Amino acid sequence: MPRLQSQAILKSVLKDYFTGLSAPIAWCTSAGPAELLRAMGFQVYFPENHGALLGASRAALKYIPHAHQAGYQSEVCSYLTADIGAWLMKETPLTQAYGLPSVPKPDFIVFNTNQCREVAEWFNFFGREFDCPVMGIFPPRYVEEISQHHIDDVASQFKELIAMGEKIIGKKMDPEKLAEIVTLSKEGSHLWKQVLDTGKSTPAPITFFDGCILMAPIVVLRGTQICIDFYKEALKELTNLKNSGIGHIPDEKIRIYWEGMPIWGRLKWLSQLFAENQTSVVASTYCNSWVFDDFDPDNPIDSMAYAYTQIFINRGENSKLDMMKSLLKTFNVDGVVFHDSKTCFSNANNRFGLPNRLKKETGIDVLNIDGDLNDLRFFSDGQTKTKLETFIEQLQMKKSAG
Amino acid sequence: MNQTNHHFLGIDLGSSFTKFVVTDESGKKVDHAVVPTLSRNKHSFDDQHQKIRDKYSIRKVCATGYGRDSIQSDMKKTELICASVGISSLFPQRKNILDIGGEDIKIIESEADGQVIGFHMNDKCSAGTGTFITEIAEKAELEISEMSELAEKSTAARIINSFCTVFAKTEILGWKFEDVPIEDISRGIYLSIVNRITKLPLRMDLPVFLCGGVIAYHPFLISLLTQELGVKVQATPDPQFMVALGAAVLAGKR
Repeated sequence: MPRLQSQAILKSVLKDYFTGLSAPIAWCTSAGPAELLRAMGFQVYFPENHGALLGASRAALKYIPHAHQAGYQSEVCSYLTADIGAWLMKETPLTQAYGLPSVPKPDFIVFNTNQCREVAEWFNFFGREFDCPVMGIFPPRYVEEISQHHIDDVASQFKELIAMGEKIIGKKMDPEKLAEIVTLSKEGSHLWKQVLDTGKSTPAPITFFDGCILMAPIVVLRGTQICIDFYKEALKELTNLKNSGIGHIPDEKIRIYWEGMPIWGRLKWLSQLFAENQTSVVASTYCNSWVFDDFDPDNPIDSMAYAYTQIFINRGENSKLDMMKSLLKTFNVDGVVFHDSKTCFSNANNRFGLPNRLKKETGIDVLNIDGDLNDLRFFSDGQTKTKLETFIEQLQMKKSAG
Repeated sequence: MNQTNHHFLGIDLGSSFTKFVVTDESGKKVDHAVVPTLSRNKHSFDDQHQKIRDKYSIRKVCATGYGRDSIQSDMKKTELICASVGISSLFPQRKNILDIGGEDIKIIESEADGQVIGFHMNDKCSAGTGTFITEIAEKAELEISEMSELAEKSTAARIINSFCTVFAKTEILGWKFEDVPIEDISRGIYLSIVNRITKLPLRMDLPVFLCGGVIAYHPFLISLLTQELGVKVQATPDPQFMVALGAAVLAGKR
């Protein structure tokens, strides 16, 4: 029985989503221009969601070696290796969960390297497998200030994407439909932010680990009414908990910010470990990465170009520092855990001194832990437990010393 | 049984050895013992535990180390917290603690009262730890008990480059083919460990106190660390038992 009623509702929402996928289908990266694809008439499937499913179901390690055998090295993204490995073995958790015989066949494959360059190699693999057209959006990477030049660059690539998509689907995209979908995405994103913001209260009714589950609709159903309806319900439930003073942990003593990828195969284990130590992980960069405040239905293409370029993972270190400082302040955080996800170079943000600079500027203690999003060979239960328990005690001592 | 005073027991279940320390009500160590953590004799832990309970009136037990969750105890604390508390009970000053254990290296910035201010642990790799030394020494055909003495006789600067214990063993094989003297091999193994330690984030304005099983068996590391770190480095008494001491002290406090 899930702790939140919303998690139970989510099961049927996702079942409807997966079983309802039918041609024409576009595959898209999680922070890719899904709105354009929906406006053109594609249904959208997200391989990263599938990668996360493989990790959360702890099936990833079964599949990763098959990708290695196909030439995809152990150091590259374990979403990619798990997903390609599962494909090579002709298996998917979607069979057991939703009765699907395989991942849905794509008619168009679209990626955006605003997250990483690995998505290009990943999606091109499937382009070859399905003999399917692939188009990549290559925005400027690691940007600090986003200029009009950056927006123009991405917007022009979006226009090329529309032309290619229209050719595949055989009809023109309706601009009014795009404005409508961008409106829905904006509202869904706003509600998702409000859901996450309930974590600002003490005790927090939502944790990072809840967020990792509840985030599915903002990824796979962004731009639909279903997404909005789901988050309205979730927000209602979490607001009630907040107003009643009910937190995930009743005796919350320490509040943590999680930076980096989730460790999908250890979500429950970590959630329990923090709870046993009266600690809530109240906020994360990861969950907040699907908050897109800047969508504008009156200027959909340019606003999408901006929104998808300004995401944390695509920013320079100075911008990342500022974004984190802002979140730490609003969520009243005692400490920050940086997850050094070994196969996710682009979203392991502890490698260029950011934790040290963050501590220097905010005085908030930081901890690095080693692990991975999917490949648990990089993760040690014993060492992580020792690190986290010591860190929590360190924060408690500091707090009680005033 | 010593019934007149109450005592407290700290048990440090490390990756190689389990250490027991008994303290009195003032937090002073009155007894200690060690047994292998994973030996064929499954009763060694229980036998030692019982011996202590027969001898002392134990009021509370604190378990620490990687195996802390595997035994019944009144409280459990991480080995980093216990190392800080144990060493601070003997050296109440702000300091760095360097704990070189069987499978990891820990650096702790510790307040005079034992509060942990910050810490760092190596990642999953065991390079530079007790296991690393044991594995490399075996390949080099060196007796662990003789390594420190041999290393003192060498001035060689050759070090093992590989971070991986398995590849490090291959490097040692190359040294053997080259007929590198065993004194130089011994020193080289220690130098490679110190080389890794000097890359860890250590506060250079604070003295360094050493603890852990590796220091107990490899005293040459103390002089080498002093030389390479350029700060005051000193070993704690019975360094292998400092974590268990901290556990016993904590058991007595709560």
